Amino acid sequence: MSEIGFLFAGFAVFWAGMFTYLVILQVKIRNLQSQIDELENIIENHDEV
Amino acid sequence: MFLNNIYALRWKVLPPVAGVAMIGMAALALVTAPTELIEGDVQRLLYVHLPSALASYFAFTVTAVCCILFLLKRDFKWDSAAQGAAVVGLIFTLLTLITGSLWGKPIWGVYWQWDPRITTTLILFLIFSAYLIARKSSSLDSDKSARFCSIYAIIGFLDIPLIHMSVRWWRTLHPQPIIAKLNPALPDEMLLVTLFSVLAVISVAAWFITLGVETELLSQRLLKLKAIAKTNISEKS
Repeated sequence: MSEIGFLFAGFAVFWAGMFTYLVILQVKIRNLQSQIDELENIIENHDEV
Repeated sequence: MFLNNIYALRWKVLPPVAGVAMIGMAALALVTAPTELIEGDVQRLLYVHLPSALASYFAFTVTAVCCILFLLKRDFKWDSAAQGAAVVGLIFTLLTLITGSLWGKPIWGVYWQWDPRITTTLILFLIFSAYLIARKSSSLDSDKSARFCSIYAIIGFLDIPLIHMSVRWWRTLHPQPIIAKLNPALPDEMLLVTLFSVLAVISVAAWFITLGVETELLSQRLLKLKAIAKTNISEKS
């Protein structure tokens, strides 16, 4: 691999790593939030009954 | 109070600041910075390698501080914050090792050397991987696990000064410090790009830490709600 190839690989890994982690975090936060909303509704409905 | 203010910025201020800074960093590193005479273009990896290393130190410092606060206050919010920051630290440590290897191959002829700085950085990665595995494999609200893991993380944090001093204390292939001294051994243009890159990557790390902390806090909240729901169901039956 040429010098430019190593440079490209380094920057690609860096950006890909950060984007992937950001996407994982967003998906995880959304899933957790929806599970929390669901459970809060269940608990609220139970309290009303 | 200060930490709460930073946390409040996680959706409004930190994303645009980090995004603009990262685009600026890429442009400066790949276009504006002059080409190094001996190493050539591959030297530009310094602009992601060094900031990644400093971002990992930053994240692990947050982890250690949160662990100390947990031990003092016994508030699980600090335990969650420590875990969120540790994940970010691990990611940046991994990026440091990978970008370092990609620089090492054309310059040293090998991807990996058991050099003191590289080895102590790998040890840092293993220490905090073990911390997260230990913490995640026990219950989130286990006080005993949280206490032991916090003490372990604080002791593990001591590897960072060791990494920093490793190039001074032992014979090493790794380049000697070029910035952390009175007269930095970099031309002004390269120095400015490096400093800008450090600020850009640390702003991303700060944003990731706030998101990581949010994830951990939501996990704890979910756990509490599950416990409440379980109690309600058993009362009903």
